[in-house]
Amino acid sequence: MFGGGLGESIKMREELMKEACYLSLRAHTSAGKPYLSKKIRGSSETVFSFPGPWTVDGWFSGKPFGQRKIELNLFPSLRSIGNDEKAAVNEAFYGRFEAILKTTAFANEVKKAVTEKKQIIFTGHSSGGPIAILATLWREKWDIYFIHFVTRYDIVPRLMLAPLSSIERELQPVLHFFNPKSQFFGLESITTAPDASTFFMNVMRNVSAVTSHAACHLMGSTNSLLETVTSFIDLSPYRPFGTFVFCTGNGKLVVVKNPDAVLQLLFYSSQLTSEADIRDVACRCLKEHLGYENELQESLKMQNVAYLDDHLNETPLSSSGSVQGELATINTALNDLGLSTRGRLCLRAAGELQKQKQRNQDKIDFNKKEIAEKLESIRKYKTDRDVRKVGYYDAFKLQNDPEDFQANVKRLEVVGMWDEIIEMLKRYALPDEFEGREEWIKLGTEFRRLMEPLDIANYYRHQKNDDTGPYLIKARPKRYRFTQRWREHAKRIAQGSSSESCFWATVEELRNSDKPFEELKDTIMDLERDIDRWAQHEEIGKDVFLDESTFAKWWKKLPSQHKKGSCLGKYMSN
Amino acid sequence: MVAAFLASTPLLSESWSLCCRATATQTFAVSRAGDVSYVAFSGVQAVDVLDPGCGNLVAVDGGVFPGLLRHGEAEEKAEEPVMVHSGMLHLFHSMFKYTDFESQMFEIMKESKSVVFTGHSIGGTIASLSTLWLLSYLQSISSPLSVLCITFGSPLLSNESLSKSILQERWGGHFWHVVAKHDIVPRLLLAPLSPLTPQLHALLQYWHLSMTSPQLPVMGQDFYSLAQRAALRQDIVVQLPDEEKNRLFLFVLACVEASAKAGRSGGSSFFWPFGNYVFCTNEGAVCVDDGVAVVKLMHLMLATGNASSSIEDHLKYEDYVGKVSMQFLKRRGFVEGEIFESSYEAGVTLALQSSEIASHEPVSGPARDCLRTAIRMGRAPNLNSANLAIALSKITPLRAQIEWYKASCDQSDDQMGYYDTFKLRGASKRDAKVNMNRIKLAQFWDGLIRMLETNQLPHDFLKREKWVNASQFYKLLVEPLDIADYYRLRGMHRDKGHYLTHGRERRYEIFDRWWRNRKVGEEENTKRNRYASLTQDSCFWARVEEAREWIENVRSESDTRKLAMLWENIDKFEQYARKIVERKEVSKDVLAENSSYSLWLKELSELKSQLQQFPPRFPRFFEGEIVP
Repeated sequence: MFGGGLGESIKMREELMKEACYLSLRAHTSAGKPYLSKKIRGSSETVFSFPGPWTVDGWFSGKPFGQRKIELNLFPSLRSIGNDEKAAVNEAFYGRFEAILKTTAFANEVKKAVTEKKQIIFTGHSSGGPIAILATLWREKWDIYFIHFVTRYDIVPRLMLAPLSSIERELQPVLHFFNPKSQFFGLESITTAPDASTFFMNVMRNVSAVTSHAACHLMGSTNSLLETVTSFIDLSPYRPFGTFVFCTGNGKLVVVKNPDAVLQLLFYSSQLTSEADIRDVACRCLKEHLGYENELQESLKMQNVAYLDDHLNETPLSSSGSVQGELATINTALNDLGLSTRGRLCLRAAGELQKQKQRNQDKIDFNKKEIAEKLESIRKYKTDRDVRKVGYYDAFKLQNDPEDFQANVKRLEVVGMWDEIIEMLKRYALPDEFEGREEWIKLGTEFRRLMEPLDIANYYRHQKNDDTGPYLIKARPKRYRFTQRWREHAKRIAQGSSSESCFWATVEELRNSDKPFEELKDTIMDLERDIDRWAQHEEIGKDVFLDESTFAKWWKKLPSQHKKGSCLGKYMSN
Repeated sequence: MVAAFLASTPLLSESWSLCCRATATQTFAVSRAGDVSYVAFSGVQAVDVLDPGCGNLVAVDGGVFPGLLRHGEAEEKAEEPVMVHSGMLHLFHSMFKYTDFESQMFEIMKESKSVVFTGHSIGGTIASLSTLWLLSYLQSISSPLSVLCITFGSPLLSNESLSKSILQERWGGHFWHVVAKHDIVPRLLLAPLSPLTPQLHALLQYWHLSMTSPQLPVMGQDFYSLAQRAALRQDIVVQLPDEEKNRLFLFVLACVEASAKAGRSGGSSFFWPFGNYVFCTNEGAVCVDDGVAVVKLMHLMLATGNASSSIEDHLKYEDYVGKVSMQFLKRRGFVEGEIFESSYEAGVTLALQSSEIASHEPVSGPARDCLRTAIRMGRAPNLNSANLAIALSKITPLRAQIEWYKASCDQSDDQMGYYDTFKLRGASKRDAKVNMNRIKLAQFWDGLIRMLETNQLPHDFLKREKWVNASQFYKLLVEPLDIADYYRLRGMHRDKGHYLTHGRERRYEIFDRWWRNRKVGEEENTKRNRYASLTQDSCFWARVEEAREWIENVRSESDTRKLAMLWENIDKFEQYARKIVERKEVSKDVLAENSSYSLWLKELSELKSQLQQFPPRFPRFFEGEIVP
């Protein structure tokens, strides 16, 4: 990516950048409109731009950082799949977007633009930005480029890393300063007041806490104090995403995508050279927020762009280091951003982590063949047992033959390999896109359907339910929980609908229950409906219905009244 | 990096300002900020405990610190006792007794989510003791309250055993000791002080006056000018001539150096640090959590000072806290022109810069080495934990083979169960394999415990159910084999005594504790319908072995008192065994026809019928009346 214009590299026409920037600023001043839309003449693009709110409660609501969990029905993809962690977003901005969606013609207008095959750009300056981001997430889901322009000292991109309580007194005047409709708009005296310095310091103190905490994790530190102290303070939950374009202030641009690196840059690029600079920098941290239009035009003219992502782990550590070629460009750019050795070390750590994730993925990909082979031998075991008319679930539970024992050893080997993967996912040690990779979703489903019955058989064979409780509640391994969520997410089906691999556990619990039939009836009906569906789609094997199977034996003991009406009657021999 | 994070939190300055208030009150002060409560202890106390006269280490009592003691007991008896400074313990006890400290604490526990104990100087040791007390208490009621201890220039409190106990309890992360780079007080107790009693008296007086006199800024209000303050202090210092100060300084420096060189304390009656140390300088701060590294840095940093800076630094926490909490603002760590071999070396250089040790100073070499080790040690845990997970999955098949062995013994015609089969094993390939697996599993778990106790694993490690469950199943399955091996050929226990008291591996005691401390859901205590797959008391067979010996002894014993004791023991075991069999908490191998337990029952009833034929001298034992 060395050389070449910015537009080419980040795949956006430069004309469009300028237009978007202009419109995002216009939105602030257009009286009372929740958004603006404009078709670009002579091209196929439509730009929507959003104004921002200028009151404190338009930025922060309720909690220290004003965040909320996202609504999955509007944004189904915004969670970590296996870990099942919902994304958090700013509540005030979220509410604003929801209102636009519900009370204006916005949704229709976007739909119309889509049917007309227009390209759509959402844009916003300052607090209009988050609305544009939410619009993009809502429209295009996770699949689009987000481009954020940030000037070196602009305080706003850092603002949400501080809790409201730390800046409550100073925030409203600052918002007045940013608000084009306010009488204080751009007022010089605000930027030079002592309050501006306090404001800058308080925000930066919190940014420092968040970024140094993140850096400790990047560098793999597990200092015990770190954990304890974290429970004593509120750390901001917000994190950057998408492509960041930092404007150094002298016409150069620095492009970074790695979110860990962006976070560190947000902090280290705003540090002071000496204490005496504080008033000057505090002034710039406000002024630069209003200077995007000029900055962008200047920078695009110069086309001096450094791309960090491919070289993060070899970031030059000292400002005067003798490096050549692309690294030299990067070094100059980092000098322009004022990055200290400490900051550069953090960038390296971010790059190293990314590389490590890639290496982990390569290693796991390498195991794929072995997993497939082992699964094949279990599949053979299953077929053999089917032939003998005792399903592999029951045979495994009985463990009468050496083959059953062999299968158990194979099982432990395969699950060991999967646990390794899950362990990495839990630590977020694999690339983010791993859980969406088709080949792994497929292999995960195969693995789950074939192996989980054996895990359940083993669990109930050793009566671990007496020691630790029912399998599904107490003991279901993460390797199956995760792989099930992968499939459900990929197929966009409801959570829990792909639980065909663990119905045996429900059967075991029902079998062991001493409750009367009437009390269990609903659970049984649900189970029967599910089994019928899974059998029709061949998601469970025929062995379930063999005469001697645990399931068949249990089912046949159900009251005959119930059996007559059951949807499973057709699978059972008499 | 950790230090940078700590410094940008508000905890440090909040704690320090309350410390100043507490010193003004001479007892303790409480304040609340949101969900966090701060409790600060005065740096000036009624009794001067740093006086060498009351500086002995004494063993802690279980009444107030059960958490520490319980651990001490579980250890082998040879282990050194946990000891703390007697004077400081006394201060803590009298505060507990004569103030409303305890009731205030309960108030705080009701209203806050977290507590910070803090204190300057001697107040720091009371903060540490209060933290230990509260951690012990919270452990006993499983409360989620978070506790943190932040001390400023605190003297040492305790011996190396305490620091080990704290590591084992994984409490190290609750202690944050702030030490100014030259402050002599935190280093003082590494030296035997009695030869220097008069010098020390003068110093203590000086510090106390400086801390309590109104010319010190209290809560940021500065009434006197710097020059006035300096003049006032000068008056006090006059009492101690410079050469005396120097003598004290050099003596302490030499003792700290000796400790640093030795790399461990001199035994249970010597002081040793615990928890995290954050050394503050004008250039920043460094955080170290390993005891050896702490003592080394204590030495190296003190070596760059002199007598007067070592005394003055004890009073300079206001400055240091201010500087450290503002360090985030300024760009630091610009190392011009230097080329680094690696990120790691660059990190070490930055840490060295923060410790304000210039590269031309003679101590910079050793300091670099010390920081290198500290940084490397800080990184390993996560990786170790991931590798262990993989190692566990690799050794699980070994466990499965033992399970298979047990099952095949259960089905075998011998009807001995896997305990007796293994005990009487011959030279077959199968038995050798099982024995091999047993040894490999033990190695794995011992290694894991070692890593855990030397802080090489993440802090939430034991909260991961996977490990607690895996260790429990391992224990239930394999400990019977260890017992069998112990009693095999009637060997070991003859020389060493019985398994339960002399042969049980420490890992099993640790696993017992994990299992006890795990989070328990509601649906516990479900009744068993079938015999458990593994006997829930993993020491059951060791009890059987002891019971067998009692029966043997009954036959040969003539001393009536001893005989009574034996019968009492036999009775107790019989009842216990019946109870767990009834509850189906044993696996079916216990009840196998030829198991040691079945044979024992048979023997017992034979013995009883013999005694009935030849009327016993003490029939009352059979009615279950037990004479003490």
